[in-house]
Amino acid sequence: MNQSQLNKFIAYLQKNDWSVFGPVFTTAKIEELSPFLSAHQPSAIKKSGQILIKEIKKAGDLNLDGQLPFYSFKRFFVPEYETLFEYKKNRLAAKKYAPKIALVGMNILDLKAVNLYDQVFEKDPYYQARRRNMLIVGYSLTPEINDNIFEYKFEEDILEHLPFDIFLADYNAPSPRQNVGAPPPLNLRGGRGELYKVFTGSIKGQRILEHFGYKDYEHIQFSGPVREGRADERMERLRDRLKNHHDPNIWEKLGKICIECGKCTLICPTCFCFRIDDSPSSVKDSGVRTRCWDSCYYQEFSEMTGGHKFLDSTARRLHFWYFHKFARIPDEFNFMGCVGCHRCAAVCPVGIDIAEVLEEISNS
Amino acid sequence: MHNPYETQPAKITFISRQTANIKLFRFEFVQKVPGHKFIFKPGQFIELSIPGFGEAPFAPCNDLGAGYIELCIRNVGKLTAKLHKMKIGDIVNIRGPYGNGAWPLDKYNFKTQKNLFIAVGGLGLVPLRTLLLGKDKFLGKDSKVQIFYGAKAPEEMLFRHEYSRWKKHNIQIELTVDKECVGWNKCVGLVPILFDKHEVIQNSVAFLCGPPIMYKYVLDKLKKLGFADEDIYLSLERRMHCGIGVCQHCAVGSYYTCKDGPVFSWAQIKDIPGAI
Repeated sequence: MNQSQLNKFIAYLQKNDWSVFGPVFTTAKIEELSPFLSAHQPSAIKKSGQILIKEIKKAGDLNLDGQLPFYSFKRFFVPEYETLFEYKKNRLAAKKYAPKIALVGMNILDLKAVNLYDQVFEKDPYYQARRRNMLIVGYSLTPEINDNIFEYKFEEDILEHLPFDIFLADYNAPSPRQNVGAPPPLNLRGGRGELYKVFTGSIKGQRILEHFGYKDYEHIQFSGPVREGRADERMERLRDRLKNHHDPNIWEKLGKICIECGKCTLICPTCFCFRIDDSPSSVKDSGVRTRCWDSCYYQEFSEMTGGHKFLDSTARRLHFWYFHKFARIPDEFNFMGCVGCHRCAAVCPVGIDIAEVLEEISNS
Repeated sequence: MHNPYETQPAKITFISRQTANIKLFRFEFVQKVPGHKFIFKPGQFIELSIPGFGEAPFAPCNDLGAGYIELCIRNVGKLTAKLHKMKIGDIVNIRGPYGNGAWPLDKYNFKTQKNLFIAVGGLGLVPLRTLLLGKDKFLGKDSKVQIFYGAKAPEEMLFRHEYSRWKKHNIQIELTVDKECVGWNKCVGLVPILFDKHEVIQNSVAFLCGPPIMYKYVLDKLKKLGFADEDIYLSLERRMHCGIGVCQHCAVGSYYTCKDGPVFSWAQIKDIPGAI
């Protein structure tokens, strides 16, 4: 698929009632996004702007250069705030809102997070309704290696473990920081001046491409989030350390600097925990039961009636966060609860770097 | 698609005051689904909500065959304060039951091989009442049960009018109160003190339910008596929102209290820092 076909495809989606979202380079200054961040980010970002996920009005706005968007695609899958029920007196009525959304240009790290949402919210009717009305168009470039702590590369067999409907493999622009001496990431000779080799990962993807009039795609059968027969050694080691070699010093030390702002949990593509609350409206005896993102760094996260907290110190809450991602999720789903995007370190106001913490756990 | 957060309206049909701030509520579902009976395993819990006041987990404690749900609830938060103001005929919303970890009644042969020892404090007696009311059915007529129960004061003891009936079913109950008080001539002190005054029933499995502080001391006593970790069961209490192992609030190590518990064997959780 070449650039003009891609532009036509985006226009086609819009014509067919899809709201198209994708990475957009925006010169909105960081100050406009977060005055707090502007005080902590290197000035280069302030000047040059950010990649954000925005609604694509013109196809030309779509930015596919392999940079990681500042925020992940999480909120399209697990919204920060959603209404589960509307209530009047003691009657609750379920409320589902699932518009047609096409996410174009989802990078591999954010796609990996979708594997987790799909597992966690497997039986959640609100999630499933959203997911049914969503079109995922993945894109091959992995964010630059220094922003990707597990050094994921775009290898040929990665696609069969990622959940997408359509995938655009960019082979004219190899990953910006390839390791010298490593084999080239993927040799997909399409020729004919094509920019993207097109794959489909679902019947939905096939149907939409066919209807649009693009037939030169290859289908990849999704074979689950985990590569069979190849144990993830890094995951095994971290899990073993966390479960069998608990080192309280790591957490005590971090607990002294962490200010429990919860930014890492908000920006993390794999943080999905939530609380359920009732909010009365201004009309008597009516309101909504909502589900809203929570953060295990917040003091009341584990607070029970009567005030007792099981996670009663910053150190314990930090441990809870790491244990979830690197022990509990591996136990539940057999993959790590971290895609390696490094966003948490980028927003941490006190400079806690997940890559360094993992190194420490690994050596504990 | 089935909505796990959907609730069934239930009507309050009976209220009895247990203590100054604890009431026993009886509920019946408003729409009875034909052929469907609300069944739970002793140790499981339900989520009760009142729109506008939120949702919270409670352990049902009624006799299983009764056709209604009983919950024994202390007036301590926003939801329970509202509930305590409610009257017979008022409606609440219930979903559940939840918890794959109930009291392990099928794991042991209580009829002929094992006895049951129970150590509970305060409201911890509640999740065991169903088991005690249906003791002959769950454990067999001849099985022996011994309970160590501690409460703040004699008037804080739950279900106290039922003890004499329990005793007729081979259930021995030893009581203690936190502080000396007028009219109380039995044991004074916290639950562990009962171990010094009474011999624990031989060849038994232990079920524990109470405030977290109680567990450590009772576990010490049980370990000294030679109980195996696999034969000690604890019901854990945690903040819960979803009840189905998703929201993360109740996680303990790699377990979820709501989904994998709330009852765990000590062998399962003893190596998890902060479990009790």
